[in-house]
Amino acid sequence: MKPILLQGHERSITQIKYNREGDLLFTVAKDPIVNVWYSVNGERLGTYMGHTGAVWCVDADWDTKHVLTGSADNSCRLWDCETGKQLALLKTNSAVRTCGFDFGGNIIMFSTDKQMGYQCFVSFFDLRDPSQIDNNEPYMKIPCNDSKITSAVWGPLGECIIAGHEGGELNQYSAKRSQPGAESALCHRGAGMYSRPRVNGASSRKRKTFHRQKEQHMQRHSVKSSGEVLVNVKEHSRQINDIQLSRDMTMFVTASKDNTAKLFDSTTLEHQKTFRTERPVNSAALSPNYDHVVLGGGQEAMDVTTTSTRIGKFEARFFHLAFEEEFGRVKGHFGPINSVAFHPDGKSYSSGGEDGYVRIHYFDPQYFEFEFEA
Amino acid sequence: MQDAENVAAPEAAEQRAEPGQQQEQQPAAEPPPGEEPPRPGGPGAQEAASGEDAAAEVEAGPGPDVPAEPAAGREEAAGAAPGSSPPPPEESLAPVPAAGEQPGGAAEDGGADEPSFSDPEDFVDDVSEEELLGDILKDRPQEADGIDSVIVVDNVPQVGPDRLEKLKNVIHKIFSKFGKITNDFYPEEDGKTKGYIFLEYASPAHAVDAVKNADGYKLDKQHTFRVNLFTDFDKYMTISDEWDIPEKQPFKDLGNLRYWLEEAECRDQYSVIFESGDRTSIFWNDVKDPVSIEERARWTETYVRWSPKGTYLATFHQRGIALWGGEKFKQIQRFSHQGVQLIDFSPCERYLVTFSPLMDTQDDPQAIIIWDILTGQKKRGFHCESSAHWPIFKWSHDGKFFARMTLDTLSIYETPSMGLLDKKSLKISGIKDFSWSPGGNIIAFWVPEDKDIPARVTLMQLPTRQEIRVRNLFNVVDCKLHWQKNGDYLCVKVDRTPKGTQGVVTNFEIFRMREKQVPVDVVEMKETIIAFAWEPNGSKFAVLHGEAPRISVSFYHVKSNGKIELIKMFDKQQANTIFWSPQGQFVVLAGLRSMNGALAFVDTSDCTVMNIAEHYMASDVEWDPTGRYVVTSVSWWSHKVDNAYWLWTFQGRLLQKNNKDRFCQLLWRPRPPTLLSQEQIKQIKKDLKKYSKIFEQKDRLSQSKASKELVERRRTMMEDFRKYRKMAQELYMEQKNERLELRGGVDTDELDSNVDDWEEETIEFFVTEEIIPLGNQE
Repeated sequence: MKPILLQGHERSITQIKYNREGDLLFTVAKDPIVNVWYSVNGERLGTYMGHTGAVWCVDADWDTKHVLTGSADNSCRLWDCETGKQLALLKTNSAVRTCGFDFGGNIIMFSTDKQMGYQCFVSFFDLRDPSQIDNNEPYMKIPCNDSKITSAVWGPLGECIIAGHEGGELNQYSAKRSQPGAESALCHRGAGMYSRPRVNGASSRKRKTFHRQKEQHMQRHSVKSSGEVLVNVKEHSRQINDIQLSRDMTMFVTASKDNTAKLFDSTTLEHQKTFRTERPVNSAALSPNYDHVVLGGGQEAMDVTTTSTRIGKFEARFFHLAFEEEFGRVKGHFGPINSVAFHPDGKSYSSGGEDGYVRIHYFDPQYFEFEFEA
Repeated sequence: MQDAENVAAPEAAEQRAEPGQQQEQQPAAEPPPGEEPPRPGGPGAQEAASGEDAAAEVEAGPGPDVPAEPAAGREEAAGAAPGSSPPPPEESLAPVPAAGEQPGGAAEDGGADEPSFSDPEDFVDDVSEEELLGDILKDRPQEADGIDSVIVVDNVPQVGPDRLEKLKNVIHKIFSKFGKITNDFYPEEDGKTKGYIFLEYASPAHAVDAVKNADGYKLDKQHTFRVNLFTDFDKYMTISDEWDIPEKQPFKDLGNLRYWLEEAECRDQYSVIFESGDRTSIFWNDVKDPVSIEERARWTETYVRWSPKGTYLATFHQRGIALWGGEKFKQIQRFSHQGVQLIDFSPCERYLVTFSPLMDTQDDPQAIIIWDILTGQKKRGFHCESSAHWPIFKWSHDGKFFARMTLDTLSIYETPSMGLLDKKSLKISGIKDFSWSPGGNIIAFWVPEDKDIPARVTLMQLPTRQEIRVRNLFNVVDCKLHWQKNGDYLCVKVDRTPKGTQGVVTNFEIFRMREKQVPVDVVEMKETIIAFAWEPNGSKFAVLHGEAPRISVSFYHVKSNGKIELIKMFDKQQANTIFWSPQGQFVVLAGLRSMNGALAFVDTSDCTVMNIAEHYMASDVEWDPTGRYVVTSVSWWSHKVDNAYWLWTFQGRLLQKNNKDRFCQLLWRPRPPTLLSQEQIKQIKKDLKKYSKIFEQKDRLSQSKASKELVERRRTMMEDFRKYRKMAQELYMEQKNERLELRGGVDTDELDSNVDDWEEETIEFFVTEEIIPLGNQE
């Protein structure tokens, strides 16, 4: 079927993501625009304006109330999904590379780049405690001294985060709250209120407050020191560009510059499967209802000018999860694919490329009929 | 070593003393009664003689029963030591100052009054030195101490005392580069130095370094240093004048070096270098997947070469060449040639020619070395004056002769003597190129025009040097010699600028070697020639001609009556190279590199294009030695991405794509020529139908087996994966409550599990309408 072409960015796409229901598709690029689209017809719903640099990452919480974006303008911003209002601005010392809501949607995590003399950090904010946002004081900050984080997601149930590093390592960091003091400090559980932080004298503006009502849960466990590395594995030899969980969050797929994508168990980080290509893999996504995985990648942007599209191999490639065998390719982009995402219903997928386009592809009937001889 | 000698019995010490100081053997060999225990000999003793020896001798000297033969040698060694002969006091005047200081000096005067300290005649000295003063002996100077650090430099300028200081400065400057010079000695004669000097370094390593680096050092025109270790002199001295029959070398069983020819499936082998040269593998070529035989890291430093009959695999190293072979690819031979870059085997696999740009010196030619492969011996070294194309030495087909061309000369050497054939080179003024026939000992060479003398191509029989054919050519720009693989034909591609025409015309002068008088026929072409190639074992040739987008290929046939017939011409080819199958008939036309790797597989028996394909950016095409398969590859050496080799059948059916990280080179292992006679080959061709039935059946069997295996493999993979998923899902179900809790009781496990909460939204689909007129509307 003919794909839907989304033209809402002036620069290369950095990340695309569906919300949980799959009706919306969020796209960010190396321009400051954050777009949200109806996935079914490709109509643009709106934009989130405010960033002043390339936006590296985007995430939506489970009930699509909030959107979180991280940018190279040294900020991580929280938006109201429906109105597009900026709810919080968290200044950082360096570019924000990855960000995410936890399972419950109460805690946000983001990681910053190692650059300009600053370390790579993962910061954790509890949205139920407005003072953390107001003072820009995360309740936890994990330094990563060795190799910077290039991709990260929350583990199942928000007890840990899984981070992929520049050197190819995978780490599972505990995100459990450690100090009992921190817990008691959250006096107003539940109806936490927070306000836009005061930045550069912007405080005179109208204060926007809102309630967060959907849940009142705290982390139940308070064991062990937080930020501790629970599991460390190194299966990739080069940078891990992307990590995406399966729908049930029991496993995840990594995409690496070492030309492979790999499947891991979320709890143990045990390596399960490897999908090999001849090009750096920028992104990989798991089908929610088939044993399929889609890989996007291609020759690195800096090398593309020296090669033709034919040699670049900018195709999305489909592999069988268990057999590790490729069974299909989708052409279309004329630059490397930087991000791929499966629609939660598994009937379509989208890809965002270095060429600045996002393409929504609905699968043909043959896709659903195809089966390996086994 | 030295420690061991220290604790050894005295005999050892004496033996050690022997080589250094030949004269001093007596005391050790048969200690005469009454003789003092043998002292540590050696050159060190010389220096000490004035002190210790004097004292000792004095003690022994006065004894009444001193044996009459007090080592004549020692007399020399110790100089005029007082005790050497019982002398009248006046005669020993010279040493008196030394002796006088010794406590024993008194004994001299005392004479017979003193009690005898000598041993009685029948005394047997059964106390070993070690026992007596082992602790001191441990520290005694060793012969090796010092002497190992001494070098001898010959060809040093002979100077008088006035310039000695200057000479010393110069020498010091040159030789202190290798280490600290602790001592030097300039022997003199008649007020002039003798032309050789001794230098002592602080350590033997420095001395070795100096020998290595300063030997052959050119001080000026007359003086080239020869530097040797002092200890080596001994070695040179003891070389026997008589020739000893060399010991018979034990037979080394290298196993069956041709084992790969006995493989049941008749598969071929190939070598693959990948990971930018870090790893080298040998594979069996198999239709399904290559089967690895051997894989080694850093097997070679640059690339590898197979010998012409496939017996050896040569690897390149900084220090030389190594040959490998046999079933386990064990090392068979090594040739030490520092900095070797290029090699060439003789066609008979008997000799190896290596080239290194590093190793040449004026009087020891080592740029090109010819080795005997079986013995590993260096047969002869050559200089490399001209920057000619490799191989500089071209071998005759049987390896009996090899030849090289220099300015106006053609030098032909013969094996195994490696000497010039008939002891002289051929004078051929202006010779531009030469080439051996692959089918006989005939050399073809050509000479360009010189004023009024036409250019000429000459065929010369060897070793008789008889010119069997000379062909004169006019207005020649350039010639290229192309032999057909069996030597049946020679094609001389002649680029000419005929008078009265513009541009270059190419003539193909076809020499029919097997006929009397060697008749020549000519094919003329006006277009640019891109490539030319003979069909191996056949009488066809292919020519690529034309300009870039309009390239054509023409196939010609040299008929038995000598007529050259154009069989077929294909135009609009994307090709720049011709690769004939080693068996002939089939050919791959390839547009390598800049032509993106376009491939055309052609059957020349009926001139049909069997397949057109592409291996994007391919840099190499290699036929297997049997002509069944062909490999195209993108080498990391020429292109940095998509390094891989693809295997095709001779018809152009793609069998395998083998991606290897930073793949560099694939080389098929050559096969030796067949042992079958022409009749046998004919018989096989006749019975081909019978054989093909068997092979087809075999193929079917293995194919069904392969697909069965694949299905089986998938099944087990699926089973394992299902098991894993089941475990993961159990865990997932266990955590259901926690999930509900975290999301405020909303069940989000299924996409539609909370349908009730859904909001309806109306969205539009954009349908663009565009009217496209159909058909031609004039």
